[in-house]
Amino acid sequence: MSKTGIFYSFNSTKTAKTAEKIVQEFEPEFNVQKVNAEELNEELFLSFNNLILGVPTWFDGELPIYWDEFVPALEDMNLKGKTIAIFGLGNQVEYPENFGDAVGIMAELVTNRGAKLVGLTSTEGYTYESSRAEVDGKFLGLVLDQETQPRLTKERISGWVKDLKVQFK
Amino acid sequence: MTTVPKVFSVKTTPKEILEKWYHLMTLGRAIDEKAPNYLKQAIGWSYHAPYAGHDGIQLAIGQTFEKEVDHIFLYYRDMLTALSCGLTAEEIILNGISKATDLTSGGRHMSNHFAKIAWNMHNVSSLTGNHTLHAVGVARAIKYYGEKAVAISVQGESSLSEGFVYEAINGASKEKLPVIFAIQDNGYGISVPKKDQTANRKVANNFTGFKNLRIIHCNGKDVFDSMNAMFEAKRHALETGTPVMVQANCVRMHSHSNSDRHELYRSEDERGYVLDYDPLFKFKRMLVRYERFTPEELEVIENKAKNELKEAHKLALKAPDPDPSTYLDFVLPEPHHPAKYPDGTHQENGEKKKLITALNETLKAEFRHNPDTFIWGQDMANKDKGGIFNVSKGLQKEFGSKRVFNAPIAEDFIVGTANGMSRYDEKIRIVIEGAEFADYFWPAMEQYVDSSHDYWRSNGQFTPNVTIRLASGGYIGGGIYHSQNIEGALTSLPGVRIVYPSFADDAAGLLRTAMRSRGLTMFMEPKALYNDPKAATVVPDDFEVPFGKARIRRQGDDLVMITYGNTTHMCLEAAEKLSKEGVSVEVIDLRSLIPLDKETILNSVKRIGKVMVVHEDKVHSGFGSEITSVIMEEGFEYLDGPVKRVGSSFTPVGFHRSFERMILPNTEKIYNAAKEVLAY
Repeated sequence: MSKTGIFYSFNSTKTAKTAEKIVQEFEPEFNVQKVNAEELNEELFLSFNNLILGVPTWFDGELPIYWDEFVPALEDMNLKGKTIAIFGLGNQVEYPENFGDAVGIMAELVTNRGAKLVGLTSTEGYTYESSRAEVDGKFLGLVLDQETQPRLTKERISGWVKDLKVQFK
Repeated sequence: MTTVPKVFSVKTTPKEILEKWYHLMTLGRAIDEKAPNYLKQAIGWSYHAPYAGHDGIQLAIGQTFEKEVDHIFLYYRDMLTALSCGLTAEEIILNGISKATDLTSGGRHMSNHFAKIAWNMHNVSSLTGNHTLHAVGVARAIKYYGEKAVAISVQGESSLSEGFVYEAINGASKEKLPVIFAIQDNGYGISVPKKDQTANRKVANNFTGFKNLRIIHCNGKDVFDSMNAMFEAKRHALETGTPVMVQANCVRMHSHSNSDRHELYRSEDERGYVLDYDPLFKFKRMLVRYERFTPEELEVIENKAKNELKEAHKLALKAPDPDPSTYLDFVLPEPHHPAKYPDGTHQENGEKKKLITALNETLKAEFRHNPDTFIWGQDMANKDKGGIFNVSKGLQKEFGSKRVFNAPIAEDFIVGTANGMSRYDEKIRIVIEGAEFADYFWPAMEQYVDSSHDYWRSNGQFTPNVTIRLASGGYIGGGIYHSQNIEGALTSLPGVRIVYPSFADDAAGLLRTAMRSRGLTMFMEPKALYNDPKAATVVPDDFEVPFGKARIRRQGDDLVMITYGNTTHMCLEAAEKLSKEGVSVEVIDLRSLIPLDKETILNSVKRIGKVMVVHEDKVHSGFGSEITSVIMEEGFEYLDGPVKRVGSSFTPVGFHRSFERMILPNTEKIYNAAKEVLAY
């Protein structure tokens, strides 16, 4: 199996917990290395073939500051041959106009640089007004709502990781 | 959504530009953090709204502004914007601690209101977002005079809840004006969160239905995203001549101001994460991360800013305080002084003209006299229609639709854009029909009030050169909103001349003087007299009437009636009736309420001793109360009885003619009151 990493902020609370759950779902077949997105550099990022990016949506539809600061580096990368999946937390009740936007922003960034995006999910079961994460009726990653749908998180992660296990082989 | 080109990025922006930005941001933050200390040390700066968290967009707005070409209107949180526009640290502190050399107002206006009128950085109100109308008004001038420039209105997102902001954006959209509405969205209006302001978190999207308006969203916490957004906004506005709204998402890292405590309404978690997203630290990290600067190089810039602030602080403390004895300066600018008609009278003979004709001909004459004269209002111009009462008939035909045009049904917009357009150039003179009828003027009151103190507030640096015409008063059976008077309320505000002629010649003369004067004039027109033969007079072509000069329309010895507007004619009729009874009545037509001709009033009071004050507006708190008080204070010993006031009852004016007769004064009521006074 190719080298697989999960990138998220170690200082976050909900995103970090979600990342832990995702890693658990991959075990024991997959060894997923945890990487602190706040201490990321280009070399480290490019050393992985399969990348799972934890990208929660901040404010009214922005990348978190640590990913935002990494964007200039990302923009100069060649991501051909990389397989990338994105997950992110949002709040469809309080922020229905930009639910999971950051997942969409990151998806656009990495696919524009040649990465293969995997782990698209159904928008069924969500209620929101608009999302940059949604393209052709699908989310460009796993969008979780721990604020208003926490009970669905476990099942959503489980189904998503099952799909990724196939894609990452 | 049209893409915003990435012109600026951390990797490609030239190092000297990054250095300039970092210097401005570091200096700005240092002042932002030092400002509360001035209050703690009782030096001043009692109002400070910290900008921390808005750093990216404020830097970008200032960098986009081209001084002396563009026009910019900052709001009270725009300290870094002001620095980025070019103000020095010393100039910022002079404003903060209200020194005599403060560029905005010499200590007259609240701190944190930054301006430099010489650069077209305008002096703005504390009323959030009311300068949006001024920006649209000045953009109208930019377009008319064909200048390659933009107007920038900077404001918080909560200001978009104000109705006048809607009016401004609607006007910019309709007229296709080069305005940038730069909206700094920190999620709060003091303590009121966005969800309590509007249903749309991205408040700019409330305006997506407006034609000709481009909306750009950006991260106001990020220097490069903000620079790209503002750069594109300006390019678009300049190239297309149409408005752009930039909504910049910011964080407010601290309380609204130093009189607010945000811990009362924001959770510890929220207060923490907004601090975590400190735009200045983010910028610094990126400069180092992408190897544009070493930490040591940045430290040199930081130290330079610190020293600059120290020096500015020392200089500002040494600056003189305002001289409070100057408080009467700059209430009103010096008006035009009629040379040929110094007391506003004439002896010309010839054909009499109706009041409406006198106004119409004077407007046309002044439009010919000054090519930089404009007029707009509701019903102003459409084919043969020229004003609700056709006062401006034929103006558009002769002077074109760029100088004479309709305004939307938005009174505040009419007044606010007049204020704004007159900021473009001292030579501009604007006449507006403030509303269809005087008592429809109330929606414009916020702009009226704001305009009334522009001259004082700017320490004499700016005055709106605007004449507001209002068809006023009753006797037409119009009822509420069509037959009432409002001057009693207006005369309580300093900073506006208020005139109210009764005859055609005075109407022409006062209008000419108003249109040739600097400053704001409220021109009340007694609409019942527009076509009334009794108001018709001979009107010399070049007639002028000075402000503050009453006219004795009838001389007498037994009783003086002090009046203006419609009731002048009723007083003259009552006087005529009384003369047949052997009573000699003097009638003073004030013509100007502000300034008031106290000399003429008191001379008559001293000579005659019996006094009536008569007007159409309500007796209760009407302007007659002020006149009466002046007489009591300065002429009491000459009185031979109480001053009698005659006017409307303290009610609205009813629609049915019988109500109007009951409520409004008339010749009979004046006659009866005169008999009472004469009985003393």
